[in-house]
Parts: sequence; structure tokens; C-alpha cells
Amino acid sequence: MRILRWLPGRLFSAVIVLLGASLLIFAAGRSLPGDYANTVLGPLSSEEARVELRESFGFDRSLPEQYVLWLRNALEGDFGLSLASQRPVREEIASRLPITALLAAMGMVLTIAIGVPLGVYAGCHVADGRRSAATRIVSTIGISLPEFVVGSVVVFLFSHFDFGLTVGTFVSPAEDFGAGIVSLLLPALVMAIPCIAATARATRNAVIDVLVEPHIAAAIARGETPGFIIRHHVLRNALIPVLTLTAIIMAYLLGGAIIVERVFNVPGLGSYLVLALGRRDYPVIQAVVLLTTAIFVLMSLLVDILTGIIDPRVAVTKAGPGA
Amino acid sequence: MRIQLPTAGAVVLAFLLSNIVPATIPRAAAEEAAPGFQAVADMNLPAGGTLRVYLDYDTVAAAGLDPRVATTARSWTLMGLSYETLVKVDEKFGFVPGLAKSWKIVSPTEYVFDLREDAVFSNGRPMTAEDVKGSIEMLQESKSSWALQLGPIASVDITGPHQVTIRLSAPYTALLGALANTPAAILPVKEARAGTIDLSKQMVGTGPYVATAHVQDESWTFTKNPHHPDAAKIGVDTIDIEIVADEANRLAAIRDGSAHYAFFNNADALDLLAGSPQARVVKQQNTDFYYLILNSKNPTSPLHDERVRLAVNAAIDRAQLSDLALAGLGLTTGVTPVTLPGACDPAKLPSATLSDAEISKLLADAGATNIKLSLTTWNEESAPAQIAQIIQQQLQRFGITIEIKVVDDPAYVAEFYGSDQPATADIGISWYAGYGDAAMVSRWWNTEQATFTARYMTGSPELNALVVKASQEPQGASRDQVLTELCAAVDKGAEQIPLMTRPGVIAYRTDKVSPTINTNEGYGNLLRYITDFRLTGTK
Amino acid sequence: MTALTPMARRRGPVARAWAYVASFDGFTRAAIYVLAALIIAALLGSWFGLGGSPTDIVGRRLQPPSLAFPVGTDNLGRSVLPRLLAGVTTTLLLSAAAVVLAALIATISGIMAGYYGGRIGGTIMRIGDILCAFPAIVLAILVAAVVGPGSIAALASIVLVTVPLMTRMVGQAARQVAQREFITSAIISGVGTRTLMIRHILPNVAGTIAIQGTYALSVAILVEGGLSFLGYGVQVPHASLGLLVQEGAVYMVKAPWLILAPGAILVIAILAINLIGDSLRDRFDPREARSLT
Repeated sequence: MRILRWLPGRLFSAVIVLLGASLLIFAAGRSLPGDYANTVLGPLSSEEARVELRESFGFDRSLPEQYVLWLRNALEGDFGLSLASQRPVREEIASRLPITALLAAMGMVLTIAIGVPLGVYAGCHVADGRRSAATRIVSTIGISLPEFVVGSVVVFLFSHFDFGLTVGTFVSPAEDFGAGIVSLLLPALVMAIPCIAATARATRNAVIDVLVEPHIAAAIARGETPGFIIRHHVLRNALIPVLTLTAIIMAYLLGGAIIVERVFNVPGLGSYLVLALGRRDYPVIQAVVLLTTAIFVLMSLLVDILTGIIDPRVAVTKAGPGA
Repeated sequence: MRIQLPTAGAVVLAFLLSNIVPATIPRAAAEEAAPGFQAVADMNLPAGGTLRVYLDYDTVAAAGLDPRVATTARSWTLMGLSYETLVKVDEKFGFVPGLAKSWKIVSPTEYVFDLREDAVFSNGRPMTAEDVKGSIEMLQESKSSWALQLGPIASVDITGPHQVTIRLSAPYTALLGALANTPAAILPVKEARAGTIDLSKQMVGTGPYVATAHVQDESWTFTKNPHHPDAAKIGVDTIDIEIVADEANRLAAIRDGSAHYAFFNNADALDLLAGSPQARVVKQQNTDFYYLILNSKNPTSPLHDERVRLAVNAAIDRAQLSDLALAGLGLTTGVTPVTLPGACDPAKLPSATLSDAEISKLLADAGATNIKLSLTTWNEESAPAQIAQIIQQQLQRFGITIEIKVVDDPAYVAEFYGSDQPATADIGISWYAGYGDAAMVSRWWNTEQATFTARYMTGSPELNALVVKASQEPQGASRDQVLTELCAAVDKGAEQIPLMTRPGVIAYRTDKVSPTINTNEGYGNLLRYITDFRLTGTK
Repeated sequence: MTALTPMARRRGPVARAWAYVASFDGFTRAAIYVLAALIIAALLGSWFGLGGSPTDIVGRRLQPPSLAFPVGTDNLGRSVLPRLLAGVTTTLLLSAAAVVLAALIATISGIMAGYYGGRIGGTIMRIGDILCAFPAIVLAILVAAVVGPGSIAALASIVLVTVPLMTRMVGQAARQVAQREFITSAIISGVGTRTLMIRHILPNVAGTIAIQGTYALSVAILVEGGLSFLGYGVQVPHASLGLLVQEGAVYMVKAPWLILAPGAILVIAILAINLIGDSLRDRFDPREARSLT
């Protein structure tokens, strides 16, 4: 298996990347202007109260010491206490991560369910100049729609007019899964629009590439039906570039969740990060960013492995326009 | 088939626009429902049901839910559901019975409170005089800024089975005003001292509601306190509170009925809910006011010179600030909140009477022509940044160039508080809660007591003395005279200059709730009359 | 007609540029015209004060579009047209400056990584990977929160967000070039490393830089918008498209032009840039070109 040859190196570099990211995250967290004690206790608080609080969270120790301590605890899954809620960061994250994960997963499902068929359709109809041009312009518009613009407009329209979906109520999927899914539908769709467009475009290009290959011509010559050819020859071969794109899209969805969660008031990891930043809640900031990067690194690792299994010829590279 | 996309788009857009923009925007709720009230609940409606309230931010303090150290209005609102105070303010800022059913001012330094006998904490234990005495003492011992507002309390004594007497070391007119705010709530002292109740984690008060769930910065659930003596008169069974930071999202929640009752900082919310017939929007005037920090502590800044500060103070057109940034709802005020009885007349302040020529002369005398000043404010609400931009335009006329920096809350605090060095920024914009007595907020101008202003305020012994004098003078003409002098001194010193009141906007769904909302609020308590609320759409 | 006809060459630079533009397909030409129109409008606004001052309070607040105020007034009574023009200027200038800076860094580090490979290349690529591990907007707000809100924060964020991918693409292209025969023969004939990089490798990766730079520009505009939306972007009273959208969002019911005008310009600008990017890719990257009409 070729995969075994590059996998150890790939794993090693993933670890290096995560270590580097953790250092960066810690440094950034501690360079934030403003002091936690001031922020939480308020300007009207006394100096002793502030000193006391700083000591109680170990902020009086040296920075390298704090970093090592933080990293060691983080590896054991202990991210300390949230400064704002005084609860373990792990618990705080545990209640919010599923929401963001569900949101991103819904975005992903929408992306694949809409993007891939659109791409296949477009790829099979390149000969039609007008339709081809329409595909290009529509997909480019899709990529060019920022979620804070679309989101703001959608929130307004869906609250001002009755379209059957409310935007003011978030239902936790943990309490009522069905209602939770419904309340996440609009944010997931807003987030997915650029991804759908990018996926449709990548699929289309992949389909075109596959269609010109000789074995397709052979299949046509054998008299196989177009539907059969698409299902059995085209889709499988077109899968790889699409798969590569999914890692980028996953990162986009995880990151994009920040803005969409804020616009739609979804209490996920993204809005929690913005909140924690505004509070200088260091343990939370560090944990959330580290988790996000870790998920992303793992996702791209997974995609690489999958790609390697599906098509052993493919060298491990990530490419494509960043979103 | 050829689809004319641009044409179709234009038609859709035109349709949407014609639907969105109402032909005439009615100015909602200009008149009061009753004297002192913007809305009065229909108490004939059946009790029960769940009220959904959307607020802009949550309680936040390292000490958690301990009311003594709560410094923000939202904390006072939320904790005020579970805790009660000895006295309360009514809609005219008169003091009315709370946990004290009556009180007697024996002398300017002696107050006797007769306590309610039926008050019960939510754990079922009846409230005693010990709890009252202990609560006041615990507040004094705490490092809370509210301990300062309590004034010079010499002793709290139990003088009867249901009576406490507070003795002061000097007269202090604002005592009732200080006792009326949530930080002075009566705590379950016995349990707190025994350690069986952690005040920072649990709210066990005598109030009408008990918090049954809380997710920090997301939501609260309060349910009716069955032990409350007036439980039968409490209208709403459950209050679900959602914390929603984004103003546009709270607007959306009122529009689509997700929220029954919501608060807005943006005064334009009055008009922004036009076209939603079920939504009623009311303005709530506050004693809170916006003020400008003019940093005098930096020796290299032009603001080090008192003349320049006075000129800046005089060059600011408060009416325009209010019109543009607060939809005209902000009222020009001196250091005594203009919405409170006995407040000074802001039109007679020294800065208000200076002409443009006099302002220019002040600047010229100080050698401060064509100066550059930095202004820092924060971004959690929209008004401060707007005020900053208008002030920038206003000062431009006098050759003062302002550079604006809008930062987040922690960065703003880092700029002006919590270190020994003079602040680097020249100007800051923020607001103070105005409380329920005209002299209370002026404590923050006394540099001996309000040490948190040390990085930007020099102050003066005369001003400090005036602040103390204002707090001692008993109600009446002589106090009004002292307050007028105090206003003038604050205005001339111009280190923290009051601008205008900070109004709030409350919106509610008429098909869901019938609330009682006071026109003037002193402690930012948005749910002051919660026990009167009734739900209209109970199914 | 292609760009290199002798006739065009005789006609001077303007005509040549015109001919180059004309060599693209209809969509791309339209995109170029739209972008050019935006730039010209922005220049007219900032140099000649077209539409008036972007910061002066000139009229009643929230006025609908009229002759005096073609795009209405905002919530402080400022004319929206000059604010839009100032916003376009800020957004394009900021994004372009950031992308040029990013391209510079990416070109140098990419060529070095591609040429040297081995440890130097590996280190450069690893740093890029670390930055890539952050979702763009997370990295951006982290940087902005550290630097403090403002243009510098936006600039730094955009650079950090766009550099890694550009470096990787340039690195890959440089690697392919470095393995070609003419480089080997140049090394044998004693050409210095610096000359080699500038004279031989750079021209061959220029296309990649152009393509990536164009895409980075659209990413930059998105990042700037997102940052402004979250309150970490350009400072008031200056305007950027993202900031204008953020300021206008709440006024949708009363003054929809406040969000729709900057929102539409933002989308159009990104759209135009993406279309141009696609065309550049068609031109410089022949493998991809086959699959794009």
C-alpha cells in the first residue's frame, strides 16, 4: 500500500502543525489588549480584588510556565475554568460544539446534495453555450455572496414577512432535534451558498475532465445508457477533486459559522468565541481556537487518507482557490 | 426559454421595497398610558403562562450572582427578579415600602425601618431582622463600589423583633436611594455565613421569582417563587430570558413573535418596528447619562489646561447629539440627572452660556489653536461611536481635530482604568447609571472616593467638598442650591462632562403580553413591574 | 484579435491595454469594465469630492434617495453617495495593498521553498500549514483583536489569511520550474542564485502569482467585510463597504438603501474579481483552461 509510505510523515506534520498552532494561539491570547480582571470586575472595582482574581487563575506566573501548563492540561482534555461562567471550559464547549457541528454538517449536506448534482448536470451540458455561460455566471455569483450581507437580509425578510420559518427562536437540537434542525436551516443555507457554488463548479470541471477520457468513449460505444455511465464511470472519477474541496469547505463552514451564528443568534462555538474575545476569557478563547484548528487538521488528514484509498495515484496535496 | 434576469430582479426588488418602507412611519407611543407609565398591564387578564424576554447582555462578574458586586443594569434587572430591597422607588422617584413596610427618619442620622413580617426566602425560611442587619454589614465589608453609595453608616442595630435602626456618622440624604438598588438586596445572611448557600452561585432571595436555569450569556429561566407572600398576585408563571447581543436579531425576534418583550439600545428601534402591527414600542427615559472623559492627567495633552476642557465642553451641541444619535430622546443634563427631582437646570451651566467667540477666545488664550485630540470609545452599543463622530464634526469648527478609535469593552477599560499611569487617550465616551437620587452619581466626581477615575481625573478639594455637601444636605431649597453649585463646578472642571440622558427602548408584542412600563427608570431595571405583567395570548 | 498584433503594438500603451481587454470573453470584459468604473468612481470621490464629503453631517437623517442625496442619507444625516465612494476606495485600496504585500511575501518565500526544497522549503511550507490550520475568519479576528481594530488590523489579517495558500501555489509552480532542464543548464553555466530566481524562475511563476493574487483580492474583500461586521475593521468616520453594511443592517425596514447599496457593490466587486481570476487561470494554466469556458 502506497498510503503507508506517506501516512507516518503526514501524521508527523499534522502534529507539528498543531503544536505550532497552539503556540500561536497562546501567544495571541495573551497579547490581547485589556486585562481580564478589569473587564470582569469592571472599572469600579478595587485593585486588591483584581490582584486576587489574577492570582486565583495563575496569571501571575511566567508565560512559558503558563503555556506548558496549559498545553499539558489541554492534552488531558482539561481546558481550565471559564473566567466568565466559572464552569469548566470543557463543559461549556461540550454544550456548544454539537450545535456548530450540526450547523456545519447541515451546510455540508446541502453543499453536496445541491452542488454535486448541479455540477454533474452542468458538466454534461457544456456543449450548450448559453447554458454553460449561465452556469458560470450563477456559480460565480454564488461564490461572491458574503454571508454577513445575505444573512442580514435573510434575517430581516424572514422576520418581516411570514415565510413559514422563524429567525428569532433558536431551538436546541438536544431538546427537540426536529425543531432544532428547522431552526438551523436558514443559517446553514446562507453559509452553504458559496460552498454549493464552489462544489458545483469543481464537480463540473471534474466531470468534463472525465468525459473526455477514452474509457467513457468506450462505454458509449458499448451502448451503455448515459445514466449508467454517469453513475458508474463519471461520478467515481469525479469524486476526488470534490473530496479535496470538502476539506477547504469544512474549514470555511467552521470559520463562517462565526458570522452566521452571530447574525442568526445561534449559540454555537463561533458566537461563543466572539463573546469570549470580548471578555478576554483566555481559557475559552484558547480552547475554542485550538479545537477548531484541531478539527480542521484532522479533517484534512481524513480527506487525504480517503483520497489515498480511493485513488492511490494521487499525491497528497491540497489545492484550489481558498474560500 | 430566455429569462430576463435583470428585469425580474428589478421587479422583485421594487416589490420588496414597496412593502418594506411604510408610506408614513407612525411615531409609536408618544403619549403615556397613565401618568408616569408608558404601558399599564391589564390586570383582568388571567394569570399564568410563559413570558419570553430578549435582553442585550447577561449578568457578568467574577463573583457570579452575588448582587452586592453587580455593577451593570442588566444584572440589577435579572437579580431583581429574585431579590428584594428594603425600599423601592415609584414612578416619580418617591420611595415606597419594599421589605420595610414603613420607616421613620428620626434625625438626619437615624433611620428606623419596620420590616414586613411575612417576607420569606425562596428556600422557605422567613426573613428576620438579622438578615437585614447582616446584609447591610456584608455589603459594607465587600469590595463593591455600591458600598461607597451606602454612605457613612455607623451602625445597624436590631431595635425590635421586626425593626432595624441605621445610624449614620453624618447626614446622608441619598441613603434611601442607595438602599433601593439591587446591590443592597436583603440576603439570606444566616445561610451565607454558615456556608450552606454560596451567594455567587445561587440566588436565594425574597423576590417573586426563582432562577431555575442559567446558561451564561445565553439564557435564563425564572419560575414563580411559591413562598412569596404575594404569590397569588404574580401574573406570569415562567420567564424565559434570551440573551441576544445583536440588535437586528432582537428586532427580528419581536417581528416574528419569538420575543414577547425586548430591550433596545438603539433609539431608532422606535421606528424600526413600524410595519409590524402587533409590536408596540415605547421609549423609557432613564436617569443614566452619557458623559465624556476629558483626560486632564496627561501633561502633554492640550486638555491638561482647564480652559481647553471648558472650551471643548462648551463647543459640544448636546441637542444635535441627541437628535442624531438618540433619535431626539436624550435630554441634556448636568451631573444631577435631569430626570430626577431637584436636578439642576442644564441650560444655566457655565458651558451652556458661552458664545462661539468666547469658546474660540478660550482656546486662543490657552494657545490651543489647531489641536489634535484622540478619542476612544467602545463598540458594544451603537450610540457611543455615533456620538464620537458627531462630536468630531462639532469640534472641527473650532479647529480641533479628533481622531476616533472604537475598541471593544476590555480595550476601553484598559485605556482608562486599572493602572497607575495617566491614560494616553485624550477623550473617552461612556455612561453612568443615574440611580434614584440627584446627588448619588456625583460621588464618581469625588476623587477621594471614586479612585477608579485616577488615570484621567485630577479633581479638586473644592469639588470633593461640594460632592460631600450635596449628599448631606436634606431635601429642600438649600439642597437644590448646593446641587446647582455642584453642577457648575463639574461643568467648569470639565474632567467628566455629562452630555445627555441615555434613553432605552422597550418593544413588546401586544398579542402576547400586557406589561407595565414606567416612563422614567433610575436603576436600569427593565422588569421593575414584572409582577403586574399578564399574558394576552395564553392558550 | 489578440493582444500581440503588430497593429496594437504600434498604437501605444492605452490601445494595447484596450486590445488586451478586448481579447477576453464577454463576461470578463464586463467584469473589467465594472471594476474600472468602480475604481474611477472611487477616484472621483476621493480626489474631486464627487458627491460631497463622506463625513460631514449635511441633512436630515435617514432621507430616501433624492436629487440632493442620490443614495439618501444615513443615520447621522450624512450623504450616502460619498460614503459609498469612500467605502469603495478604502475597501479596494486596503485589499489591494494587503494582496500586494501578501504576493510579495508569497513570491519570495514560495520561490525559495520551490528552489531550495529540503529543509528551507519544508520549514516555509510548515509555517504556511500552521497558518492554514486556522479558518480564515478565526485567524482574522484573532489578529484584529491583538492589533486593535482599524486598517492596520484588517491589513495584517488579510495578509496572514492569504499568504499561506499563495505561498503554496507559488512554491509548487517554482518547484516544477526548478526541475526543468533550462534551470539545470543555467546552474551549470554558473548563473548566480539570485539571478536565477529573478530572471528564470520568477517569469515562469508570474502567471500563478497573478491568478492567486486575483483570488486573494476577493478573499481580502470578504475578510475586510467580515471583520468590519464584527467590529474589528476600519474605524469610523472612515467608511469601508463592510462597515457600511454593518451600520446599515439594522435600518433595513426604514432605510433599505443603507444596506442594499454597499451590499450590492460588495457582491459586484467580488463577482467581477472572481470572473477576472477565472479568465486569468484560463490563460495561464492550460490544464485548467480546458475545463473552463
